[in-house]
Amino acid sequence: MARSRSEILQWFVVALFLVVGLRLFHIQIVDRSYRRAAENNVLRYEVQYPPRGEIYDRNGEFLAQSVASYDLMVVPRNIPESGFDTVALAKIADVSVEQLRKAIQSAKSFSSTRASVVVRQMSTEAKLLFDEGGFDGFYTLFHTQRSYPRKIAGNLLGYIGQVNDDIIQRNPYYSRGDYIGYSGIESAYEELLRGEKGEKISVVDVSGAVKGPYQEGHYDRMAVAGTPITTTIDASLQEFAEELMKGKVGSVIAIEPSTGEILVMVSSPTYDPDQLMGRDRGSNYVEMLNNPRQPLFNRAVMSSYPPGSTFKLVNGLIGLQEGVVTPSMEYACNEGYHVGRGVKCHNHRSPLDLREAVSNSCNAYFCHVFRNILDNPKRGGIGEGGYDNWEEYVRSFGFGKKLGSDFASERAGFVPSAEFYDNYYPKWNSLTVISMAIGQGELGCSPLQMANLAAIMANRGYYYIPHVVKHIDGRDSIDARFYEPHYTKVDKRYFEPIIDGMWGTVHREIGSAGVAYVEGLNICGKTGTAQNPHGKDHSTFLAFAPRHNPKIAISVYVENGGFGSSVAAPIASLLIEKYLNGEVARPELVEYIKQMKIAYPNYEKR
Amino acid sequence: MRSANDRVGWSRVDWKTILIFVVLVFMGWLNIYAAVYNETSMLGFDFSAKYGMQLIWIGISAVVAIIILLIDDIYYHLMAYPAYALMLLVLFLTLFIGKEINGAKSWFVLGPVSVQPAEFMKVATALAIARFMSDYSFSFSRTKDLVSVGLLLLVPIAIILLQNDMGSALVYCSFFVVFYREGLNSWVYYAIFLVVGLFVGSFLLSDTALLIVLLLLFVVSQFLSNRNPRESVWFVASVMLLSLVIYGLAWAFGWGLRYYSALLISSLVMLVPALIYAYRNKLSTIYLFAIMFVGSLLFLGAVDFVFNDILQLHQQKRILDLLGIESDLRGWGYNVHQSKIAIGSGGLFGKGFLQGTQTKYDFIPEQSTDFIFCTVGEEWGFVGSAVVIALFGALIVRLMRMGERQQEPFRRVYCYGVAGIFLFHTLINIGMTIGLMPVIGIPLPMFSYGGSSLLSFTILFFIAVRLDSQNSSIGATYRF
Repeated sequence: MARSRSEILQWFVVALFLVVGLRLFHIQIVDRSYRRAAENNVLRYEVQYPPRGEIYDRNGEFLAQSVASYDLMVVPRNIPESGFDTVALAKIADVSVEQLRKAIQSAKSFSSTRASVVVRQMSTEAKLLFDEGGFDGFYTLFHTQRSYPRKIAGNLLGYIGQVNDDIIQRNPYYSRGDYIGYSGIESAYEELLRGEKGEKISVVDVSGAVKGPYQEGHYDRMAVAGTPITTTIDASLQEFAEELMKGKVGSVIAIEPSTGEILVMVSSPTYDPDQLMGRDRGSNYVEMLNNPRQPLFNRAVMSSYPPGSTFKLVNGLIGLQEGVVTPSMEYACNEGYHVGRGVKCHNHRSPLDLREAVSNSCNAYFCHVFRNILDNPKRGGIGEGGYDNWEEYVRSFGFGKKLGSDFASERAGFVPSAEFYDNYYPKWNSLTVISMAIGQGELGCSPLQMANLAAIMANRGYYYIPHVVKHIDGRDSIDARFYEPHYTKVDKRYFEPIIDGMWGTVHREIGSAGVAYVEGLNICGKTGTAQNPHGKDHSTFLAFAPRHNPKIAISVYVENGGFGSSVAAPIASLLIEKYLNGEVARPELVEYIKQMKIAYPNYEKR
Repeated sequence: MRSANDRVGWSRVDWKTILIFVVLVFMGWLNIYAAVYNETSMLGFDFSAKYGMQLIWIGISAVVAIIILLIDDIYYHLMAYPAYALMLLVLFLTLFIGKEINGAKSWFVLGPVSVQPAEFMKVATALAIARFMSDYSFSFSRTKDLVSVGLLLLVPIAIILLQNDMGSALVYCSFFVVFYREGLNSWVYYAIFLVVGLFVGSFLLSDTALLIVLLLLFVVSQFLSNRNPRESVWFVASVMLLSLVIYGLAWAFGWGLRYYSALLISSLVMLVPALIYAYRNKLSTIYLFAIMFVGSLLFLGAVDFVFNDILQLHQQKRILDLLGIESDLRGWGYNVHQSKIAIGSGGLFGKGFLQGTQTKYDFIPEQSTDFIFCTVGEEWGFVGSAVVIALFGALIVRLMRMGERQQEPFRRVYCYGVAGIFLFHTLINIGMTIGLMPVIGIPLPMFSYGGSSLLSFTILFFIAVRLDSQNSSIGATYRF
């Protein structure tokens, strides 16, 4: 009995130790989760955020700067049991004690061992104070924020914000808390501007204190700073344009015709880009979203307007190229074109030749031209390709398609096709679509396309894709597509008579925009007064200057501004003057434009 | 007669076992060094640091070990009761003049050192039990002896519990190893296993499942002892039938009776014919099994009651966590969780001496004392851990064999007592660090930092070695 009990006991001991051994085998070799947990314990992966690339104007002036900012992070587990000085920390971080408590609470409910953001965007001074305070469990994370010294070009520059879940899922580069450009240049050149995130792996002890780099920093990656970008924008001109457009809804775009570089791009109302930065960003953003005039909507590239009379330039050029009109051809106008539905015109002397019709913006004249193009028997008349032929010409001017600028949000506008009308009308002819003779009807184009038309006029027949980037740091050139001229289907020689007319618009008595005259600048322009279903006519003006060897092409579009000559033309004129002369010699006109009140009952209705 | 120069019996000292002990002490010290190791502040050797202190204690222990080996073994027999009485007194005094550390008032401060009398009480108790049980008239079947042994254990347990040192008190359970060897009725152990099984089962199984298990246990065990297949099947069948009838009736009358209740009623009712059957056929084991069955049911009820109404929330949580039902990684469960992470992250070969990240960066609380095994697991890996537990296993088995080869019961009982204490400490401590055992704060012999613990294990062990070295058949010399 005794012997066997001794043996039982010894086997019992062996069995128990075997159980312990098996358990050890399981947690040390079979189950790998403990290894991961151990790494989670001691390794802290810290993202190293690179400074975002700066954005300069064409003269090297800052449009957007990167400034240091620090996010206050917490690992709730590492907060000492005894707590910390909440009041002091709240004061340093410039938030209320209540906000701080709430943020820490939500961090706790997210994870006790993983880091969460408690307070965003602390200043460098606050960070230094925090470092002195020695708050266990908390640390700061370097970020860069934007600052906009000129406070201009909100929609053009765009804004940055934290990535959302959608972006994180689509693009593995981003993770929670990262910033991304959401619109404008910030979005178009995101991949250059953002730089490359780095990663620092540190070893931490139980209280979260950093004990040093992991494996002597062998696995660390340095952050690569974002690439600075020089834009084509002229900051002072942009600022002036924004001032002039204040209180008006619409858009101004100026292009350097010889390169396609965008000098000015205003979408009005605009906003101070700083408002979409910093802690008040959320409330400012909501406010802008709720603003009926939609300041966040970049009208310059996203809206679609009827081009109005500026479109007569296109029809005139097509008519000349097609040989259905000559510069000396005259048409009579008895306050309109009275065939079919008819098109009204203003009271002016009659008849006019082509040049005069452009200067004076005679509707009747261009109705004749338009019908001549569409019904041209050489092209088989409207049913057999006359219309398609016209449409092809129009598209060669960059209408009805995206130009391919750097703005991803660019809209194509609308040039109706023959099929489009086939669907609407069982039987239609040139009289059915007559309103397109004067840029009305179904036509829709963006201000960018109109400015591009101005550039085409200035270049006498071709354009470079309008773009905002002039130079990318470390690169010899920008995208190849911006160097390639795009020719219209109209020969250079047909431009002169039309340009003559444009010159007359400003310089001749018969012209519709004498107000745009500036001595010595030889501004060539075309007014437009676009009817629209939203109320008073839109005022638009398209111009370039000087007439020979043009330096600037511009399009101004002011919603509900009335006649082209009443708002758009003076604004365009002032901008050209400032750009070419460096200063404006007509302070009373500036004042007049600034004081001008335009009612927008349509926007206020919402 | 022994020759004068072989009084100690050096030639018969079990050097192999001592070697295992010494290797474990050395490994223990290395791990304490690793546990307190800190790259920045480890310039030069510092005797005031834990590893330095431990080295001093190792030195003291070595001296004590030699002294123990030099003392004539007759004194251990002689001094058993006086030592026991003296230690009881010291233990008792600690209640009043002791110092409270970690909530337990179990420390005695003597100048620069603090000692834990409870650690040494184990030695005295082991000696006293050995002395008492080696009495030629001792028998477990005598109630008086049983009660006396019980008292020898319960008195120190009571005082230690009063000191609020649950872990040290539980160590006295280890004497059940000796009792088993010395012939305590096996049924006590079956009962213990049943109780533990039921306790664990009561948390893991539904009450119905548990009842079915108990019922089957009852039928199968009585069948094994009585070989009555017909009656066994008949019993099971009628219990099931009756329970279904009761359940069906209750359902028909809309009483909302649970099947568990129906089964409980029918099995208790059917016990009556079963007992009558046992009486007629003189099958006494059926009574026993029936008592165990009913007793188990009562025990389950008691567990529910104690767990829900008596245990405090943190105690409930510990039990639930141990059984893998619940875990609170933020609160007290943090220790075990971190401990498992440290050991688990060691892998096959470990991270290397002084390379344990969890150890180095203080993720494990109590890492040089109760959770010292984490350092072994993390830095030495599975291989190192296996070596350590193999050494412990070998030490314990060798102590048992040492006991087995004694011709004198006093020596045998003492050796088994020591083996039991080592076994209990090792299993509970390592088991705790890997989540097999509840968190009970007792040290890992030779590894955990602490002078009292090291010294008491040294004394325990070397007395056994000393007694073994003098193993003689002249046990009569002890009796005066």
